[in-house]
Amino acid sequence: MADAAPQPPFAVNDRVVYPNLGVCRVSGLETLTIAGQQVSFVTLKRETDGATVRVPPGKLASAGVRKLAGKEEAAEVFRFLKSDTDKATLDWKQRARTNTERMAHGGLMGLAEVVKGLQVLSELRPLPTKERELYDSARALLVSELAASLSCSPCDAEDTVDVALSPPGKERPRRTAEEFKRSGGGDEDALGDDLLGMDGELDGIPTDEPPPEEENEAGADDEVPPEKPARAAKAAKQAKAAPKRPILSDEEVTMTMARAVALPAEPKKRGRPPGSTTKKKSASPARAEPKKRGRPPGSPRKKKAPAKAKPAKGKKGGRP
Amino acid sequence: MIRVATLDELDPQVLKGLCKHLYTAFGVGTELSEPVSYPRGMAEPFDAERLLEAVPAVRAFQDDKVLYLTRARLKERTLATGNVPTHGHCRYGKDRALISLAGVKDLEAGLPVISRHALHVVGHLWDLYHCLDPRCAMFPPWTPSFDKGEPTFCTFCREKSERKIALAKS
Repeated sequence: MADAAPQPPFAVNDRVVYPNLGVCRVSGLETLTIAGQQVSFVTLKRETDGATVRVPPGKLASAGVRKLAGKEEAAEVFRFLKSDTDKATLDWKQRARTNTERMAHGGLMGLAEVVKGLQVLSELRPLPTKERELYDSARALLVSELAASLSCSPCDAEDTVDVALSPPGKERPRRTAEEFKRSGGGDEDALGDDLLGMDGELDGIPTDEPPPEEENEAGADDEVPPEKPARAAKAAKQAKAAPKRPILSDEEVTMTMARAVALPAEPKKRGRPPGSTTKKKSASPARAEPKKRGRPPGSPRKKKAPAKAKPAKGKKGGRP
Repeated sequence: MIRVATLDELDPQVLKGLCKHLYTAFGVGTELSEPVSYPRGMAEPFDAERLLEAVPAVRAFQDDKVLYLTRARLKERTLATGNVPTHGHCRYGKDRALISLAGVKDLEAGLPVISRHALHVVGHLWDLYHCLDPRCAMFPPWTPSFDKGEPTFCTFCREKSERKIALAKS
């Protein structure tokens, strides 16, 4: 029994785009027998290598199969690539998630965003292997779709993309983390930590802990650094929340100071204090000399101690 | 196998050096084919795409790549995003590519530049796309620093081309 599948929105020989596969051509509608049931499929053939993909007509939309982009969409992509947006996500987890979503969605603009974002990032530092592969596959999909929609050769399509990204006669700019900081605006936390892609390993460390330099600055003078208003506000809040100490009179202050002087200020150190050995030496010089073994010269020999009297036979030891 | 065919007469030493560079970069055999003539009805500067379509084929096996060399100028292309100079042209993932030596005055001294352009177009024949590394031969060829680089690939492009070559039939 053939399932009552909805009619596919594409006709035979239409060019469609399957996400992560690229431009395909609808080659026909097939009916196959699977587990005793007859199921209809839309057959797609990939243009680059002729690979066949079969999709049930009801699942075309959920799989992300769409019609080939038009010239207006291509022009919009070129405008985006030409634009001076140099904002790249430096948080590698977020970037990986976003790029994977864009690739799975399969939109032309999404591919352009992946290419542009990774290209901008590569101007700061070389891409890791996984992202380099992602960049390459996104570029391949983008170029093949643009070539199909503009009816030009892939060579021209790729050059069109690259002319938009880096015009002829200009070197690609080298970027610094500060540039990203400026373009990122308030995206401060996602910035410097991620340059080595290590933010995931630093999750356990509390983020609100001030760096040691700031502690020193705050200790030296109580000025609030102007670039950290949020932290200053937090510190003020903490100061309010802390219990207030009672105000001491002059005598109390003096006593407290005297106690502080009398008591050892530093924690008790383990081990012998330096110079203590010399004091002890002067106090007991005999102990300082190494003890000589054996009989002192000229001393008489000790008489042999008499052997212990053996108990008489028959006498029982212990209490009577 | 890469086959090099010339549309103009060129110095054999230059061709030998070019073949050596191609062999070093791709690790496949490279040899000179018989020279071919320009197609009729076309004049300089040539439209690279049309010239590549019309140029006579050379004897080659399946999956062989043919590189044509010309001393004629190629027409600048007008693309949707701007004009771009044409140093060569190729059919992506297919069998033939073309480069122009018109910009190089001294061929012997400019052998690294010629080889870099040759690597670029032949790399496209093995499905390589433009690279992000300025030292790689797959970097966009219209950047000013392209001609100063060595005729080599970056690690990523080298490995990708090796994978593609391993899948080839000849």
